[in-house]
Amino acid sequence: MKRSKRFLELEKRPISNDGFIREWPEAGLVAMEGPDDPKPSVTVENGKIVELDGKRREDFDMLDSFIADHTLDLNIVEEVMAHDSKELAKKIVDLNVCRDEVKRFGLGMTPAKVVEVVGHMNVVEMMMAVQKMRARKTPSNQCHVTNVKDHPALLAADAAEAALRGFDEMETTVGIVRYAPSNAISIMVGSQTGRGGVLTQCAVEEAMELEMGMRGFTAYAETVSVYGTEQVFVDGDDTPWSKSFLASAYASRGLKMRYTSGTGSEAEMGFADGKSMLYLEARCLYMTKGAGVQGIQNGSISCIGVPGAVPSGVRAILAENLIAMLLDLECASGNDQTFTHSRTRRTARMLMQFLPGTDFIFSGYSAVPNYDNMFAGSTHDVDDYDDFLTLQRDLKVNGGLVPVDEEEVIKVRNKGVRALQAVFKELSMPDITDEEVEAATYAHGSKDMPDRDVRGDFRGIEDMLNRGTTGVQIVQALAKHGFEDVAENFFNLLKQRIAGDYLHTSAIFDENFHCISAVNDKNDYAGPGTGYRISDELWEKLKNTRLAKDPANIGE
Amino acid sequence: MQLNEDAIRQIVVDVVSGMTKEGGNSASTSTSTAGSGNMTMKELGLAEEGKSSDEVVIGLPPAFGKELSKTMTEQDHADVLREVMAGIEEEGIKARVVKNYVTADVGFMGHKAAQLSGSGIGIGLQSKGTILIHQKDLNPLSNLELFPQAPLIDLETFRQIGKNAARYAKGENPDPVPTRNDQMARPKYQAIAAVLYNKEVQYLDQNKKIVDVEVTFGK
Repeated sequence: MKRSKRFLELEKRPISNDGFIREWPEAGLVAMEGPDDPKPSVTVENGKIVELDGKRREDFDMLDSFIADHTLDLNIVEEVMAHDSKELAKKIVDLNVCRDEVKRFGLGMTPAKVVEVVGHMNVVEMMMAVQKMRARKTPSNQCHVTNVKDHPALLAADAAEAALRGFDEMETTVGIVRYAPSNAISIMVGSQTGRGGVLTQCAVEEAMELEMGMRGFTAYAETVSVYGTEQVFVDGDDTPWSKSFLASAYASRGLKMRYTSGTGSEAEMGFADGKSMLYLEARCLYMTKGAGVQGIQNGSISCIGVPGAVPSGVRAILAENLIAMLLDLECASGNDQTFTHSRTRRTARMLMQFLPGTDFIFSGYSAVPNYDNMFAGSTHDVDDYDDFLTLQRDLKVNGGLVPVDEEEVIKVRNKGVRALQAVFKELSMPDITDEEVEAATYAHGSKDMPDRDVRGDFRGIEDMLNRGTTGVQIVQALAKHGFEDVAENFFNLLKQRIAGDYLHTSAIFDENFHCISAVNDKNDYAGPGTGYRISDELWEKLKNTRLAKDPANIGE
Repeated sequence: MQLNEDAIRQIVVDVVSGMTKEGGNSASTSTSTAGSGNMTMKELGLAEEGKSSDEVVIGLPPAFGKELSKTMTEQDHADVLREVMAGIEEEGIKARVVKNYVTADVGFMGHKAAQLSGSGIGIGLQSKGTILIHQKDLNPLSNLELFPQAPLIDLETFRQIGKNAARYAKGENPDPVPTRNDQMARPKYQAIAAVLYNKEVQYLDQNKKIVDVEVTFGK
């Protein structure tokens, strides 16, 4: 065939590199409204659910049992299930029906029912519902701080800058596992330099993650994954009960935590039981609620290439965020992993959460260049800061970031690394040299950093752990070297696990360590002029981005 | 030693190709004719723990080289397996192939291969091209070397992985084969990988357990 020049041009566009596939429902490669999804139903006998979504109790798998016994509200489930799904969908979207009324019937819907309900909505209706149903009134944002070299100085500088830019939560992970404690300490010191009260976590293997939390190297946890089919749970050496036990371990130490789930994981692992991705994700969310966990990170997350490849996949991702909110769970709503080569697609996908606002619009925005992002890259990174700030300004939306001044950024990066330098010295960890401080202060990414003596770092980390080091020694080190304000912030963060206020749903701290959660900042959206609105003070900041010229200076 | 191995291998090739032509014993013989490498896989009896310390066991999932013939980047299974086996044999170690009908998970498959291996070193190789090197005393979800980004592994790297596995089997401590990272591999291949894996697990058969496989490559 003689080729059309138009088609040849189209083939050169980045989107041509994306891997799209047609639906294959039998393997679960269907985003929502799967032909074999169960029909919603429930039967209660003698105060017990004996039938759920077309399955008798004797045929329940462990997720069905867990949801029937621990999640659904027996007082209302029969009443709510009797309602037409379209009627429930209308109530969820209708701004005249208040959030509390909708919240009341959340636990009266079975997983199959809630999937049927949101299936009646288009994405604009879902965004309307998200605006009303997210738990915390004020939207917020989370970022990733990592680098290929696990370089502590760079981690501290990047964390300090990210805190200054407005992120309320910060997540790191490792290139090499043995660096985990060093990374956790580095971003905590850096973040508390940038702004007191930023919450930090380090995503690694579960036992290590818990230990770091208990030592006070992290302030919360997120990487506790749950799955929507029994087989996938078992393949991960887990059950709903073992995950609940882990959640309790965090709660017992006063540490905030949320689970992680998302569409596509079951299909990717080969055991979707022929069900749609959204139906299986709904089961994860009901399991999460039943475990008593306050929140979830979802929005497909690391499996986004799977829903992203099938029809209505990005809509299903918004739907899964919405279901989490209908269950009154905190929702860190994804946007955290590369899923496309197309700049158009990634922005469109992000607007679904950015426009209505969620508890954390990204569950991680990459606060490092994507080549340093050890979560395999995020949808947006440091090089997109001006684009993101401009979107906020164009649309008058609070996406969680504020414009910053270059000089201020350089200053706070430098202070963050010097604070960490002092901590490393006191903890007898390998030195952070003055050359490293200088490089990290001005770096774009790890390509601008000298290499570390990796084996030396490992020995230092191991010795530090063996001496039983906790956050308290870090506070002492900071204070001893004149970083009193950072020490104060770090210490305040440690104290929060005794107060426990930030175990409430959707909790974050402001710079004065005032806890902002769904309890004292409850979402009260009820139409125009209500709910979250950008304050005049914040709007002044958002308007004045780096790129906006002052008319007074033009032509003079 | 290596010459003898080659000679034996050639004889086996000749015998098996003769058998295939006559159509004898074809019930348990499957032939992959896709692509360049003509590969014959004959399933033997239940795989047992190896006695000789100079072997590395390669664990394959059920559909490898049979119902499926290409990785997610369309590398021919025959070429991939030939490179891995050649890498092992280059180090003077025997490559023994088994098919695992119990699991297609790369970690569990590799761990099982290591347990069956006389040297305690095994390789797990999925039809989609994901590969790892395992050791029998490690936790199944751990490994010696893992190459999660299958689209980035070329044939030369498959051979290097075979070589490294053989060197572990000889008690050496080789430098890991360098891994590559491309954040755009996910948007391009994740859904295709999911399709391949879903095709794979359809052929699992708990009753068949794990069987030895005799592999021969045609010209």
